[in-house]
Amino acid sequence: MSLDAPSATAPMVRLQGVSKTYRRGTVEVPVLAGVDLTIGTGAFEAFMGPSGSGKSTLLNLVSGLDRPTTGVVEVAGRDLAEMDDRELSDWRAAHVGFVFQLYNLIPVLTAAENVELPLLLTPLTRGERRQHVAAALELVGLGHRVGHRPPQMSGGEQQRVAIARAIVSDPDLIIADEPTGDLDRKAAEAVLDLFGVLHRDLHKTLVMVTHDPHAAERAGRVHHLDKGVLQ
Amino acid sequence: MNYVGLAGRDLMRNPLRLTLTVLAGAVGVTAFIFLSTVVDMFYYNARAAQVDRLIVRNKVSFTQPLPLSYYARIAALPGVTSVTHQEWFGGTLGDTQKDFFANFAIDARTFLDVFPEFIVPPAQLAAFRGDPCGALVGEQLARRFGWKAGDRVTLKGQLYPGDWTFNVHGIYRGARPGVDTTALVFGYRCLNESDRLTEAMKDKVGIYAVRVDDPSRSAEVAAAIDHLFDNSPFPTKTESEKAFQLGFVAMSSAIVTAVRVVSSVILLIILLVIGNTLAMGVRERTRDIATLRALGFRPRTVVALVLAESSFIGLCSAALGVTAAPVLVSLFAKLIASRFGPMPDHLTRWHTLWVSALAAVAVALLAGVGPALRAVRLPVAEGLRKVA
Repeated sequence: MSLDAPSATAPMVRLQGVSKTYRRGTVEVPVLAGVDLTIGTGAFEAFMGPSGSGKSTLLNLVSGLDRPTTGVVEVAGRDLAEMDDRELSDWRAAHVGFVFQLYNLIPVLTAAENVELPLLLTPLTRGERRQHVAAALELVGLGHRVGHRPPQMSGGEQQRVAIARAIVSDPDLIIADEPTGDLDRKAAEAVLDLFGVLHRDLHKTLVMVTHDPHAAERAGRVHHLDKGVLQ
Repeated sequence: MNYVGLAGRDLMRNPLRLTLTVLAGAVGVTAFIFLSTVVDMFYYNARAAQVDRLIVRNKVSFTQPLPLSYYARIAALPGVTSVTHQEWFGGTLGDTQKDFFANFAIDARTFLDVFPEFIVPPAQLAAFRGDPCGALVGEQLARRFGWKAGDRVTLKGQLYPGDWTFNVHGIYRGARPGVDTTALVFGYRCLNESDRLTEAMKDKVGIYAVRVDDPSRSAEVAAAIDHLFDNSPFPTKTESEKAFQLGFVAMSSAIVTAVRVVSSVILLIILLVIGNTLAMGVRERTRDIATLRALGFRPRTVVALVLAESSFIGLCSAALGVTAAPVLVSLFAKLIASRFGPMPDHLTRWHTLWVSALAAVAVALLAGVGPALRAVRLPVAEGLRKVA
């Protein structure tokens, strides 16, 4: 099945005939089957579907965290299958920002240090890194929480720190896996507002997986996955 | 923040576990140094041996005597610069070995020619040489019993019957660190001219010590000495001083081997303790490591972070162990000294400390390899789903 909607801009993401099968011992478990998909540059698109429908697997393929069993995954014009692990690491560092459901902040680091992590992989000086971190934290409204560690912050604040971390290196693509799944409504709205800013004002391409219809409403387009097939 | 800071923060996630691991490692390093020092002690005299000295002993066994008459014949050989002889006396202060210390009958005239590392003030030396039953006491032994020049020391003979009283004329010290100053030596004449010796015991010595003019010709001189007495009733075996001392070590080879095996086991224990801690840490941080990988940290960077943690634990363990071990060795030496006689100073060698510290760090690094590889082999997508 395919959903290959034309985009007004050049494609940021292009999936062609993508399938993914996991092995569980001797059993093969198909997770995605024949997915064709194009996401334009600067788009904000959401994926919905029941648990086990392949949403997270699709995100992992698009972000270069996993490789398809068959098919082609192209992001920003690069075929991810052509890159080895090291190249993929470098590519993710330069082009992809991640926002996870459980924030995935390093608990022993402060908010500023968590945001600084992607910048350690760049040639920026310490002073330049500080400036970028401060700007990212200001953007998410947490300029006053730089020295706080994740356990000292609410879930909503932690997710905003995670968003700051996702954008601090100015990536083309932001991948969000259930970004509001662990937040109350108010915090979720704040996070979604931020996504709106990233999309509208900073022209980032956002790909989000969610169970939350309110969150999906914020996206420009919503895809539905069921049993590994795009509806 | 930088990579070092990141590794440091990871280490401090569980300060109690880190502290206990470092302490466990330090105990292991301390035990390793302690046992290495014990092994070193077996080789103490062999290390102090001089390359220009040969030891001549009875070919059958060093417990068998050699005739005093050999002295002149050995001294006359080409390449021999000086000769002396000595005899193990084996006396004790009382009826038991409780206050054991080494004591020898030596040739007062020639002993210091062959063993110049023993320093005796000239006046004391002259007094010692002028008294057939004069004695010199090593400074460590003198400290132990509070002896000084002018004292009289009576030893109960274990090999030679009766009580033997010697006049202490001086205290000798070592010309360099490592020289044994734990013995008492007295004039051979006192023993040999005593009417308590049977005729068969008279004019006999334990060993000859020979200095040669050219150490590179030691083997040649040794062969010449043995050749002299090939067909005598007392054939000789001449060997370097080091080989002679190593012969004593060989008698304890089973103990030395056992101690070395235990040392190796200790290294293995350090490896397991640190490896276990790192494995736990990596397992608990699976999601964080996966997050770093997702953000673009290369596998080798993650490996380096884990190995930095393991080497830090190894370094801390080594630092603590290297600090604590000499103290423990010193306490042990005091305990031994109280039962078996004084121990040499500076028992723990720098070489032992360095080797132990390096071994600890190397073992810690090795312990980190498994967890580090596990950290990077786990698929990132799978790691991200782990809940701490």
